[in-house]
Amino acid sequence: MIQKINKMKTIKLIDIASARSGDKNNVCNIGVMAKSVEDYATLKKHLTADLVKAHFKGLIKGKVERYEWDSLESLNFVCHEALDGGASRSMRMDSLGKNFSSHLLRLELTISE
Amino acid sequence: MKKVRIAGAQGFYGDSPLGAISIAMQGAADYLMHDALAELTLSILQKDKIKDPTLGYARDIEVHARTLYPIAFSKGIKIVTNSGGLNPESAAEKVKAILEKQGIKGIKIATITGDDMLSRLTEFKDNNVELNNLDDNSSYYDSKFPPTHANVYIGAQKVKQALDEGANLILAGRVADPCLALGIIAHEFGWNIDESTTQEDFDRMAFAITIGHILECGGQASGGNAYSEWPMNYSLSDLGYPIAHVNEDCTAILTKADNTGGKVSRNTIREQLVYEIHDPTNYITPDVVVDLSNIKLEDISENKVSISGIKGKTRPEKLKLCIGQHEGFVTEQFFFFSYPFAYDKLQMFIKATKETWQKLPVQILESRFNIIGVNGLHEDAVEIPNADELNQRSELGLRIAIKHKDDRTGKTAIAGIVCLGLNGPPGVISVPGWGNMNRAMLSLFPCLIPRDLINPEVKYVEV
Repeated sequence: MIQKINKMKTIKLIDIASARSGDKNNVCNIGVMAKSVEDYATLKKHLTADLVKAHFKGLIKGKVERYEWDSLESLNFVCHEALDGGASRSMRMDSLGKNFSSHLLRLELTISE
Repeated sequence: MKKVRIAGAQGFYGDSPLGAISIAMQGAADYLMHDALAELTLSILQKDKIKDPTLGYARDIEVHARTLYPIAFSKGIKIVTNSGGLNPESAAEKVKAILEKQGIKGIKIATITGDDMLSRLTEFKDNNVELNNLDDNSSYYDSKFPPTHANVYIGAQKVKQALDEGANLILAGRVADPCLALGIIAHEFGWNIDESTTQEDFDRMAFAITIGHILECGGQASGGNAYSEWPMNYSLSDLGYPIAHVNEDCTAILTKADNTGGKVSRNTIREQLVYEIHDPTNYITPDVVVDLSNIKLEDISENKVSISGIKGKTRPEKLKLCIGQHEGFVTEQFFFFSYPFAYDKLQMFIKATKETWQKLPVQILESRFNIIGVNGLHEDAVEIPNADELNQRSELGLRIAIKHKDDRTGKTAIAGIVCLGLNGPPGVISVPGWGNMNRAMLSLFPCLIPRDLINPEVKYVEV
């Protein structure tokens, strides 16, 4: 019996995209911009809201919504209850969530070849 | 075809005026658009106003009035800002005095007010106006904290009116940032921006709002804060702030002034576009809901990007109101630990601190202990290196932050642990002035109110 071997590879998000994040009340929006049309296809397929939420662990307490922005080859992740109550109430050093983008760029996608 | 050039002259309260000055000196724009009000800024300005009732505006206008405004006015450039903050009328008087002292005459300053709802909160309660928190749906009327300020995000109508009526400088209160550009563009092209019903009106307004959104963060659209252009091989100290060359047919070219640093590219504009937009089909502003999903953005040539393809939808029935509340105080202090055993010493210090606070008459509502250089920025989202590795470090920083109800606790809590400099682990330093004692926490309660409750006003001051 022939068994199909599933070959996996790792793609670093920082190699295929850039990101920028900002605050609105207790919500952090992380925009992820693909470097190319092909990279956008990879992001769309593999960079899910669930993956993003898990990556941030306790920093994001609410849900994460993903919006697709094809005309800019970008994804917007809207992260709820993400800013410790909002910049004006936060006890964090990064109260505005400006570095959510930076942290997201640390993420690695494991995909099958 | 009519055109107008608008510069994103300021991205936030505290931004450098050099970008705006170089644009004014070159005559590279017809309008300078200044965004002085991030969400948090009104809390900061309110603290000023509490100490001195003539304050409450963005204080950098005093520097601008001495350095930037004279150059701009001499070239016929108009200036549109929300730098009026919580006190536009006082701002106008201050600017008038500074301009007159420099011998400048014939300038019409417009103030836009009507966004201040602080004195109406009781009226809203009496009339059962629903004020539910946009994040957790709690009712403002259940809040235990005293209100300090309350401002509604208003639209572009008064900006347009002020320009129609000959204003050279606008000092608005809480006009929504991208609406500053809408007011300019509607004035220049004679567009109707009151209650609109045609698709053409919606699309035009949506286009102008998008221009405003691109410009509202200054250098963040023209090469600043740009992972998309990393390693950012251009000059930062003389970054050219973004300028939109706006056409009447709802297309525009985004660029920057000659001989300036930074970069304007599809990447830099993209990065500013996605920022804070959330759902690209529904970017909600006081005057129109914008659908950016089919936007066309193209690199034309070096530092020139074209933009078109924006659609609009009917404006929302309710406007965003941010109520500031005095929620308590925050005190912060920093300590630094040297090799050897930097991490163990830091943990020892934290333990002694917590034990000390148990014994003192202090009520600490919340505390944070961050290791600077390790988990300051990302807290628990990052794995920290193990103790052995951290103990090899030459130095580690500790940031202690506490939240408390009254303004005495901070001093007591920190004074109580300063003795650890002598009584605690060896190889520790603390610089007392680096901390922040008893900073008032003016937190924001965001909600919505019906737009028919608002009545913005324009007034003029002649120089």
